[in-house]
Amino acid sequence: MPEAVVQMTVNGDATEASVEPRVTLADFLREQCGLTGTHLGCEHGVCGACTVLVDGAAVRSCLMFALQARGAEVTTIEGIAGPDGGLTHVQEAFREEHGLQCGFCTPGFVVSVTAFLRDHPNPTDREMKEALSGNLCRCTGYQGIVNAVRRAVGAEQ
Amino acid sequence: MTAPAARFVGQRVARHEDARFLTGRGRYVDDIKLPGTLHAAFARSDVARGRIVSVDTTAVAHVAGFRAVYVAADLNHLVHNHKVDDEPPGRERPFRLLADDDVRCVGEPIAMVVADSRYQAEDALEAIVVDIAIEDPVLDPVRALEADAPLVHPTTASNAYNDLLGAPNTALDEVLASAPVVLTEIFTQHRYLTVPMETRGILASWDPLREELTVWISTQGPHGVRGQLARVLGLDDSHVHVIMPDVGGAFGLKMHPSREELAVVVATKVLGRPVKWIQDRRENLIADEHPREDRATVTMAAGVDGTLLGAKVDFLEVAGSFPSPGASAAVFTTVLFPGPYRIPAYGGSAKTVFTNTSGRGAYRGPWMIETLARELMIDCVAARLGMDPLELRRRNVIRDEDLPYAMPTGMVYDQITAAATLEQAAEKIGYDELRVQQRVWRAEGRLVGVGMSLLVEPSAISFGFMSTDAAIVRVGPNGKVDVAHTGASHGQSLETTIAQVVADELGVDLGQVRVTQGDTDATPFGPGTGGSRSAVILGGAARQAAREVRERMFAIVAHQLEASPADLVIEGGRVHVAGTPTRGMTIGEIAHQAYSSPASLPPGLPLGLEAQVRWAPDSFVTWSNACHMCTCEIDPATGSVEILRYVVSEDCGVMINPNVVEGQIAGGVVQGIGGVLYEHMPYDDAGNPLASTFMDYLLPTAAEAPEIEYGHIETPAPSNPGGHKGLGEGGAIAAPPAVVNAVADALAPLGIQVRSQPLGPADIVALLEHVNR
Amino acid sequence: MKPSAFEYHAPDTIDEAVAALAELGDGAKVLAGGQSLVPMLSLRLAYFDHLVDIGHIAELRGIRNERDAVVVGATTIDAAVEHDAELAARVPLLGRATPLVGHFQIRNRGTIGGSIAHADPAAEYPAVALALDAEIEALSPRGKRRIPARSFFEDIWATALAPDELLTGVRFPVWNGRSGFAIREFARRFGDFAIAGAVVAVQLDGDDRVERCAISLFGLGPTPRRATAAEHAARGQKADIAADELGQLAMSELTDVPSDVHGSAVYRRRVGAAMVHRAWSDAIVEATGA
Repeated sequence: MPEAVVQMTVNGDATEASVEPRVTLADFLREQCGLTGTHLGCEHGVCGACTVLVDGAAVRSCLMFALQARGAEVTTIEGIAGPDGGLTHVQEAFREEHGLQCGFCTPGFVVSVTAFLRDHPNPTDREMKEALSGNLCRCTGYQGIVNAVRRAVGAEQ
Repeated sequence: MTAPAARFVGQRVARHEDARFLTGRGRYVDDIKLPGTLHAAFARSDVARGRIVSVDTTAVAHVAGFRAVYVAADLNHLVHNHKVDDEPPGRERPFRLLADDDVRCVGEPIAMVVADSRYQAEDALEAIVVDIAIEDPVLDPVRALEADAPLVHPTTASNAYNDLLGAPNTALDEVLASAPVVLTEIFTQHRYLTVPMETRGILASWDPLREELTVWISTQGPHGVRGQLARVLGLDDSHVHVIMPDVGGAFGLKMHPSREELAVVVATKVLGRPVKWIQDRRENLIADEHPREDRATVTMAAGVDGTLLGAKVDFLEVAGSFPSPGASAAVFTTVLFPGPYRIPAYGGSAKTVFTNTSGRGAYRGPWMIETLARELMIDCVAARLGMDPLELRRRNVIRDEDLPYAMPTGMVYDQITAAATLEQAAEKIGYDELRVQQRVWRAEGRLVGVGMSLLVEPSAISFGFMSTDAAIVRVGPNGKVDVAHTGASHGQSLETTIAQVVADELGVDLGQVRVTQGDTDATPFGPGTGGSRSAVILGGAARQAAREVRERMFAIVAHQLEASPADLVIEGGRVHVAGTPTRGMTIGEIAHQAYSSPASLPPGLPLGLEAQVRWAPDSFVTWSNACHMCTCEIDPATGSVEILRYVVSEDCGVMINPNVVEGQIAGGVVQGIGGVLYEHMPYDDAGNPLASTFMDYLLPTAAEAPEIEYGHIETPAPSNPGGHKGLGEGGAIAAPPAVVNAVADALAPLGIQVRSQPLGPADIVALLEHVNR
Repeated sequence: MKPSAFEYHAPDTIDEAVAALAELGDGAKVLAGGQSLVPMLSLRLAYFDHLVDIGHIAELRGIRNERDAVVVGATTIDAAVEHDAELAARVPLLGRATPLVGHFQIRNRGTIGGSIAHADPAAEYPAVALALDAEIEALSPRGKRRIPARSFFEDIWATALAPDELLTGVRFPVWNGRSGFAIREFARRFGDFAIAGAVVAVQLDGDDRVERCAISLFGLGPTPRRATAAEHAARGQKADIAADELGQLAMSELTDVPSDVHGSAVYRRRVGAAMVHRAWSDAIVEATGA
């Protein structure tokens, strides 16, 4: 299929590119936008390493075609930063609580947790763990991640 | 010269690596782009065993973006030598790049396509037509050893890959013949996988003009890769440059390149263009190394008072079709089986056998079947004696007064603290109250169980190519410190922990120390990271190198101030006379002097503020140990198991960073829980691996992981000046037996015995229903 | 794992979408949220020459309240269903089923129409639609029609929709009176496809007798299934009817319970019985308190 032109905003920058319809949003961001912080862990929508925000909603970018994101505001991990360009309180919490080891799942977690806490600033433990269950980690055993989310909740309050 | 204060070692220091990982600025192999890169994909066998009748690639050329297709006849002969460093002698490991006349497991690569994109390479795969005449595979290891079993490898005499025969042991035979209590059990463990979040990947670039190969590879051993790739292409090492970028986990999978990665390297040389292959998840699950499938037949003898009198174990280890180098753990399992118990008579043997399945590889604690079999057997003996399993362990665990303890195998425990961890874990979980509460719950009909395991971990094995690690510590002219080392951290936090060690030795701030690794041009030869070695061996090298630099700085300051080095201390980035801080020099000043006026330095002192130390520990193994205890509840309607509490008491010597220690324990524990309750790579009767995606291969999530409670005991290790012990694999070794024992304990009142895994909900229900019949 | 190539069509209106489906024929597939379709394409388990993306058609999205029913537009995302308080009050089963659908990231893209059109045997929405005797609204070149849920699910991943027919909405009846609703499922991990599950809706009369009820099973056959014999046995009975017996009765009606790596048919029946038991008990508690 010949390429189609797609326009979207990525991390605040207006982006226009030519893309084959079958190219996933994840591959579009990684290859054509040069934003390699979004990772491919499974390419079938289970591991969450590819999580980005589309119009503010956390989604699995491997389960979208780039063309489906036309007109949308896409935020990747590279677009998640504190007001001065430093770490957000979510990122800071992951660092304080040793919520990452190899770092591969981390962008997906940070994006997911950022969206989740924005919408649920005071979750119960159960709600929090259920929300985290859409992202897989193999290194941490989730201990540091759960503690990071608790810390981020505490920091907001 | 007094030793510097430990300001960072022992602290829960936040990691240096986190800044880039948290902001998406990590650089993993797929993030690296080279102009002109082509992309590879592999056509694989969908038959477990058969003769390749034909491979028709004629239609491939019409696929958009297609560049090249290769089969065995094109590439296999271009491999000069596929061996890795330290290939065990005397046993030829079966190897071929691409399947040629036959296929020996589902997933075996048959052809490689190279195209402009991975999308197009996969299109091209669909144009390849492979015709295979199916033959009956051999999938069961016991069957595979029978005389009339089909051969996995046609050129071998049998499917036995290796035999580690026990030596005749009449003392043991007598014990087993005469002891009051003798029990024999068979334990089986299923196939479950490493599954790092980042799959394998390689970007290989051959420069035909300079005849140089540059490779970025997701690996845990860049120097080993360099040596192997040089041998593969028939080059000198000096023509091969391997760069380990950020790596998204490995757990043993990425110590040695896969056949696909070797094929990519051959292809880049043929094509003269960079070639990239990123393994997809389905390939990672089906067609990569498959560890853990093991069986153990254990006989244990005890007195009526619970004193263990003897043990015998026979292991059956499944090698699959093409096991990775060093995948067999038979030497370890037979030697380590007695664990932390006084067992006066012991004999072990092991057989390793080929089957038509994916080849075995190493996975975090590759020998762990010995801990599983032993700890499950201890609970079986306790049940037979009507004794509490904690009590049985108390009676037999090696105590301080038994040390040094020589095992019947000849290995010596110079120092372990298994007994102390047993007590700490019991106290932490509230064991006695728990047993009381369990009686109440059982009366209510609840299936609640308590399980435990005692682990001794042979960390930091210093043997063969794994004997040493090296570190280069350099203080530059501006007083900043660079450390280049032979490790290959892929989640182990070495950028931070090694900086902690060096910063302490040099008395500088943590932020002044930069730690690098992974580039074979910039680091000395080393085995990479694995085997729970880094704190001990790499830590030892970094500490010693930093110490040498510190001594040189003291000599310079002493000479400058006309003081004695013994009177000097280093703190706050300054070397000064103890008690007189004004009489001193900052490290920046020392460095400036050392680089700009070497003539002013003490005569005879080596120039510069850099030291490279290659270091080995005093003993060839550094023992660490832990006790895991957990509770679980089973829902009888569904068979699901919930872990309620999970306690680990760990002695890994002096901890460099308790966060890192706990993180390593936690990762291993959840992998172990995953292995028992969720993860399984089953094969059907035709030899098809059935869990080909994450919808079928189930990793535990945060919703399934228990919250782990830690107790730490720090008994300094005698083998290294830092007193550290390795621990990275322990969680994955000790968790499965603790969980299986807890499940068995929960089901025990129903008369159910648990001897095999997995223990998913359907498996539990099968046990419940079997009893009800 | 990259998908095979396809032609991409992005109609702006419902009529354009229907026209596209009619023109493109069998090789075309509707793309809504993509949470079920895209993985199948990436795994190359499915191939389509044409994808018709209906995700940007505004008229297909939204929740419309009618007097006795709620009509949910086809491309209303699961998350919108989850967070609509009025919908949760009027059709409690939708509010309770949605948090069980995958994970919140899936629910941010997945659509209720997509789930029902995809008709996975282990999915929650088809079972809820069946329990409530919902009507599936569809549009084709031949006009509009409403398909009762009982006739909609034909086989695994197969519905009564014609290849040129577009699911435009689902009409869920509202139950008034003393009702109770529950959904219970068992999955290997939180968010996984159910191994077996049950949706229960029950309405009691003034005497605490079952006036009407629905027991809808999922994961226990190629399509969701109403446990009609169990429902019949419950009707007219007092609220404290033995729920475990209902569960057993519900299982005894089933003839084609699946068997796979996650569980045999025998295992699924055991779990299914427990889910009916638990869902029924939950629903009765709510109804008797109402």
